[in-house]
Amino acid sequence: MSEKTYLQAISDGLREEMRRDKRVFVLGEDVGVYGGAFKVTLGFQEEFGPWRVLDMPLSETAIMGGATGAAMMGLRPVAEMQFADFVSCAWDHLVTVAAKQRWRAGTPVPIVLRLPSGGGFSGGPFHSQNPESSFAHIPGLKCVCPATPEDAKGLITAAIEDPNPVLFFEHKHLYRRIKGEVPDERYVTPIGKARIHAEGEDVTVITWGAMVYTAEEAAKAVDASVEIVDLRTIMPWDKQAVLDSARKTSKVLVLHEDTRTGGFGGEIAATIAEEAFEDLDAPVRRLAAPDCPVPFSPVLEKAYIPQVDDVVRALKELIEY
Amino acid sequence: MATGTAVEVVMPQMGVSVSEGTITKWSKQVGDQVEADETLLEISTDKVDTEVPSPASGVVSEILVQEGQTVEVGTVLARIGGEAGAAAPAAEPAPAPAPEPATQEAADESEAAAAEVAEPPAQPAEPVVPSENGKSFVSPVVARIASEHGIDPSQVPGTGAGGRVTKKDIQAFIEAGPPASMKASENVAAAAPPAAPQPTLASTPSQEPQAPGEGETLEPMSAMRRGIADHMRRSLDTSAHVTSAIEVDMSKVVAIRAKLKKEYESAYGVNPTYLAFIARATVETLRDYPWVNGELRGDQIVTKNFVNLGFAVELADGKGLIVPVVRNAETLNLLGMAKAIVDIAKRARDKQLTPDDVSGGSFTITNPGGYGTFHGTPVISQPQAGILGTYAIVKRPWVITDENGADAIAIRSIMNLTLTYDHRLVDGALAGRFLRDLRQRLQTWGESDY
Amino acid sequence: MSIARVAEPSGSLQEVKEWGLDREDLLQIYRNMLITRGVEERGHILYRQGKIPGSFYTGRGNEASSVGVAMAMGTDDVGTPLHRDMGVHITRGVEPWRILAQYMGRADGPTHGKDGNVHMADMNLGLVAMVSHLPAMLPVAVGCALAFRIREERRVAVAWSGEGAMARGDAHEGMNFAGVRQLPVVFICDNNQWAYSTPTHLEYAVEHLADRAAAYGFEGVVVDGTDVLAVYREAKRAIEKAREGGGPTLIENQTLRMEGHAVHDDAFYVPKELFERWAERDPIERYRTWLLDNADLTDEEEDEITGYVKKLLNDSLQRADESPQPDPSTLLDGVYATPEDLDTPHHK
Repeated sequence: MSEKTYLQAISDGLREEMRRDKRVFVLGEDVGVYGGAFKVTLGFQEEFGPWRVLDMPLSETAIMGGATGAAMMGLRPVAEMQFADFVSCAWDHLVTVAAKQRWRAGTPVPIVLRLPSGGGFSGGPFHSQNPESSFAHIPGLKCVCPATPEDAKGLITAAIEDPNPVLFFEHKHLYRRIKGEVPDERYVTPIGKARIHAEGEDVTVITWGAMVYTAEEAAKAVDASVEIVDLRTIMPWDKQAVLDSARKTSKVLVLHEDTRTGGFGGEIAATIAEEAFEDLDAPVRRLAAPDCPVPFSPVLEKAYIPQVDDVVRALKELIEY
Repeated sequence: MATGTAVEVVMPQMGVSVSEGTITKWSKQVGDQVEADETLLEISTDKVDTEVPSPASGVVSEILVQEGQTVEVGTVLARIGGEAGAAAPAAEPAPAPAPEPATQEAADESEAAAAEVAEPPAQPAEPVVPSENGKSFVSPVVARIASEHGIDPSQVPGTGAGGRVTKKDIQAFIEAGPPASMKASENVAAAAPPAAPQPTLASTPSQEPQAPGEGETLEPMSAMRRGIADHMRRSLDTSAHVTSAIEVDMSKVVAIRAKLKKEYESAYGVNPTYLAFIARATVETLRDYPWVNGELRGDQIVTKNFVNLGFAVELADGKGLIVPVVRNAETLNLLGMAKAIVDIAKRARDKQLTPDDVSGGSFTITNPGGYGTFHGTPVISQPQAGILGTYAIVKRPWVITDENGADAIAIRSIMNLTLTYDHRLVDGALAGRFLRDLRQRLQTWGESDY
Repeated sequence: MSIARVAEPSGSLQEVKEWGLDREDLLQIYRNMLITRGVEERGHILYRQGKIPGSFYTGRGNEASSVGVAMAMGTDDVGTPLHRDMGVHITRGVEPWRILAQYMGRADGPTHGKDGNVHMADMNLGLVAMVSHLPAMLPVAVGCALAFRIREERRVAVAWSGEGAMARGDAHEGMNFAGVRQLPVVFICDNNQWAYSTPTHLEYAVEHLADRAAAYGFEGVVVDGTDVLAVYREAKRAIEKAREGGGPTLIENQTLRMEGHAVHDDAFYVPKELFERWAERDPIERYRTWLLDNADLTDEEEDEITGYVKKLLNDSLQRADESPQPDPSTLLDGVYATPEDLDTPHHK
């Protein structure tokens, strides 16, 4: 074990897979000489050469379409969108081609798409979004949202191993702020399994990504035993872990950084209502960003992204219900 | 800037994911004059090395972080102007002349006025609307626990919003034991799990519980127990129960089962129980006796072209009984029947039955023989017309007649079967013929019969 | 004026032999063109009989372009043919009965009823199934070529599009990237002059779409798409050039879509004279004439070929019609791939 940042953990996991498996290659804008906009692939081109670490033209369509073709030919592309927001330019290949090819034509498309996502640093409407729910809605795609360095490494490895297109949402706000112990050896964190970030008895917070830490801070500020479930992957998602925790505490807050309407929290809340109704002692609550684009001004952004105080307020309401 | 207020120099954010920076060099020292935008210091981050221009003109009054030190983005590094140590109160941030990223992060870090401005319009939870007495709303989990323990939630002191009974309240109430004044509420049973035989509330005994006598303990009836009590009473009040019994030589079935057991278990993972054989034979026999598989509905006699076969299953805790139904049992062969019985028994014990699983039966088999009993008079599951009882298979001396007509005594596996029938519909002779045919099927079971 | 090279028409038997086609190849081309048209004609009949759900598209007029290119491909090459390119499927060896089963949404179609019409492909024959968002297949083909380049294999990807698809950004991004990296890919543009009802002057402003190749740093060629041997020759040149590391080529095959966009469309917007003019250049009739004039096609040979095709189609129709409807319980099969799915020659 050694202490790593979240970013270093992703980088380590990716590098290790590239060393193990010649089929794995990286493509994206500025991933080579520059090492990626966030330096996740720093030093990769020196080690693996320009044909396994490809600096791409500013062409998300070519990146995603190219990754799709290469995957069909047996390679394991790890494509990077410089920011998750830019995936809109690659939508067609991801959703129209890659997601459906196995189902309709029998051709598996093993791709990892790395998506630096999330706000909290005045990135504005085009550098801060959390578009995971849009893709969780597309059958054939998997969506992974690690919160800890250990999970970041284990899940990037799992994503590369997976025979499907996997969207790897790496939260920019965690890149260098979050450090943690990461096993040095190779390991796989299973896709579709939640992690209990904190055990508790009185109320449950279901969340993922950077909001895990917001929930953690909020839990310290309330006089109750709060269970925090870090979903880790939202497609497939660990329904059992969510229902188990809901049945245990009978009060649930679903928290995410993505906007509220159509956010993945709605699916979670609906599932709890359907399958754990007789275990509920309060309505399932959602706390999410309001239904507007991500603002630039720090003041506005703070009003947009759920803050510790917001979570505390929601928890108190549930506790006192 | 000739104000008396110091301007803070903060560690800028050199990229969206950068959280800290290291000071590599101070270009000015305390006491030096610096102009706005003139280089004040040099920093190094994970991504880039850069010079930091001064956010204001004035004299460097304080340097708070020394060369070589690494600090978080937004940390105050120095102050310009004002009096040393007399920084502007954070609540009145100087109008940001510093490089943009610095002020962004500074604002982020500041817990002062900005945060209050930023406070989103509090989104109050939908207020819990207390009803008239302030505590009548029962949450789903409280309703369930109340029903499982036969508790009237209105008797539980509530500590939730508007005096609502919370899950914790009712759990604490149960742990403390029921007060003497506690009475089973009729409302509770309405929320009984669907698995319980339909309780009819009208006939639920509703005596006031009395204080336990010496050596006695009181325990509230569970919803299921109340449902069973009600159903049993109602059945006896409804049907004219008569029981006939017959002895069956099960030797052939015993032999065939011993042969099939290994094959079924290895190939299908299922044990061909005697019950499965009996159920198969019963379904076949019911074909010829539609009234035994029928029911009385008002003045009408109802017969059915299907057999929905109920099996009485004891729950694991020994505190209840449930009758899950195998639908369309007439479509199942021996293997299918064995599997279906295993499935419903398991789901009954795991409490995984759905309401459909416990309704709509047309005939029932009960099997108290597992404990060695050889006779019984079970109660019919309403509105059916009969229930078959199966009992222990025991080896007994048995008179057999060989092909020459000579009698001899042999050791045979014998089982008693009872048919308890509703004499309103089924006469004794009909019941006798039914039992005779059923016995015939079991005694002549062939290796190729399934 | 044209920037792209305008290819000369097909030559004599001697020239054709020099390109690598022997007499059996020449007859095979004829056979494949007849099967291509025959499958679509049978499909059209089935559609009008109510046996094909949804819509139905044909590539009438495009037989030379599709068969000619496919004949030039190597066994290990791959392609992303579109809905006017039935000849590619036929030439690569997809059995006609499976295509008819696909049309009818049956269990034995290559997509087992999950997708319809020409949205199909057999990956074992080096074909990638198209999507309706046609130019999306261009970057995919480029990605296939990228894989070949990374692994240093001597394989080529062939990407199809129409002149309509060339207006989308996907086409630009795919070609630009292929040019930048000089990837082993050949772009075939079937310019059939009508994108649904939209004529070429509302789709592009250059003289030839192949002129655009120069802007991406590779060669563009304009070919008469009704001349199967000219198409073959240019495709062969481009494919072998790509195989040798010479980078991409954009080939514009000029044809006319001889029917509506789909069967519901009577193409009223296409001038009648245009149809009449291009009908005189019917690719199959034209090639038959060439065979008679240059290759001494005998009556016996022709009867043998047409008889074979007719029997093949009749048998195929019967077999396809016997194929069962898909089982609704298979609906969710394959939404997600399993590790075993990767156990194919492509993924070793």
